[in-house]
Amino acid sequence: MYPSRKSSMSIPSKAFQRWLHGVAPDVSTSDVCRVSGLKRTTLAQQLVRGKVAESSLVRISRALDVNPVSALSTFDSYADLRGTPVAPTDAELLSQVATMDLLRAVIARNDPGAPQDFELAAAPHDTSVRAWVEAIDDGGLRHRVSRATGIAPQNFSAHLTANKLPPELAVATAREAGVGPAGGLIASGLVSEEEAGWRRGARRAALDRLGTAELVSLAGERLQALGKTLHRQENERDRTERIWENLG
Amino acid sequence: MTAALPWLTLIVCVAMTAVRIPSAIRGRNRTMFFLFALLSADILLSIKEPYLAIDAVLGGFNLANLLLRFMLYGTFLLLGVKTAAAFGSEAGLRAIRGPVGLAVLGLVAALTAWIFFTMDTRGSSVGLSGLHQNAALESYAALGRFYPGYVAVCLLPGIWKAVRSSAPTLLRIASATLFTGLVLLVLTQGFPLLPDGASWLRPVLNYSAALASALGMGGIWLSKSLARRTARG
Repeated sequence: MYPSRKSSMSIPSKAFQRWLHGVAPDVSTSDVCRVSGLKRTTLAQQLVRGKVAESSLVRISRALDVNPVSALSTFDSYADLRGTPVAPTDAELLSQVATMDLLRAVIARNDPGAPQDFELAAAPHDTSVRAWVEAIDDGGLRHRVSRATGIAPQNFSAHLTANKLPPELAVATAREAGVGPAGGLIASGLVSEEEAGWRRGARRAALDRLGTAELVSLAGERLQALGKTLHRQENERDRTERIWENLG
Repeated sequence: MTAALPWLTLIVCVAMTAVRIPSAIRGRNRTMFFLFALLSADILLSIKEPYLAIDAVLGGFNLANLLLRFMLYGTFLLLGVKTAAAFGSEAGLRAIRGPVGLAVLGLVAALTAWIFFTMDTRGSSVGLSGLHQNAALESYAALGRFYPGYVAVCLLPGIWKAVRSSAPTLLRIASATLFTGLVLLVLTQGFPLLPDGASWLRPVLNYSAALASALGMGGIWLSKSLARRTARG
């Protein structure tokens, strides 16, 4: 059965326990916590509440040498992740290159003496969620996501600003955009590029394919967005400091 | 519960005053130390036993009550100025410390004193509950509630913004607690509307307002101390 689009976040405890029994029949819950570094109380609490967080599942999968994306895909609400991984678009790949790496690339193009083969920082970066959504947005994406999932547009925006995206919303966003289902999970830091089946060096290759003019524009847009974020953070910090200075 | 609330509030306020002693000695933010000391004195003077003892020294005609009123006005002036400045509320600061605010305070203080001295206030009783209830006494009590309520209203919008901001969680919780205290204080304006059977609600509301405000301020202090410690560690 296809999952209800408005199903709640996270994974049902029962389904989680069935999965765990399937991949590691002889391992106790406390062993699972020990090898994955997950706090026992945290997992116990999630099990009692009836919902296990995706991040817990990912940590446990890694500890058991199971691919976290395949593990997620066994649950109905993540059925989109089943099958062969869909290759990311160039725009998606570039969205997961950190702003500072884009700047390094700009410098490298313009100065042959500058380091050319620098290592790209692993995804995610400081604004990776917003960058990913903007990379796959055809103009009506946010509207479609909010209609499909019931999330209010301002709450969706708040996630982007906080550089967070709940996994189920990430998958729904990818679905509405018609791109590979795992991109948002990478952008929000839940899984790594390799785990999601992005080819090694794919981001680098996309960066090399990008014309210089486009690269400079992209870097410029990112810098502007970064400036806005920093402004907001500084204002917030100033306001906090003023409260502490007067009343603390 | 109702009997323990005043003492609990007093303990909280005295504790807040105590934790500020070290920084006050170092000369940092002495106003807050003074504010909490004043608040503690306010609470002390509104509890029956200390009130009767102090009023006896002052002549036994409830001068202690008038003193308490003036101390409360001072407390709220200080609290208002500091809090409005803290939450970056320009309008709030003007409404409290500007000409309008000071005129309101002056008028309230003058009327309070005038009514007090025109009343027959013999017979020491906390909250003037033993006096003959009449219109003069009603207005005297209403004035005492009005100025704190005025200050609270000036502060609420600025604090609400901080509650809804993305400031550190503890700071937001503390701001919400302070907000709650001030809302309760505003609600005390409605005391005359309370039916006689619900008069027990008055002290509960008064002390809850004081307690929540004090806890909120304490939470702000705590959030700062923790943030500084984390930054250093």
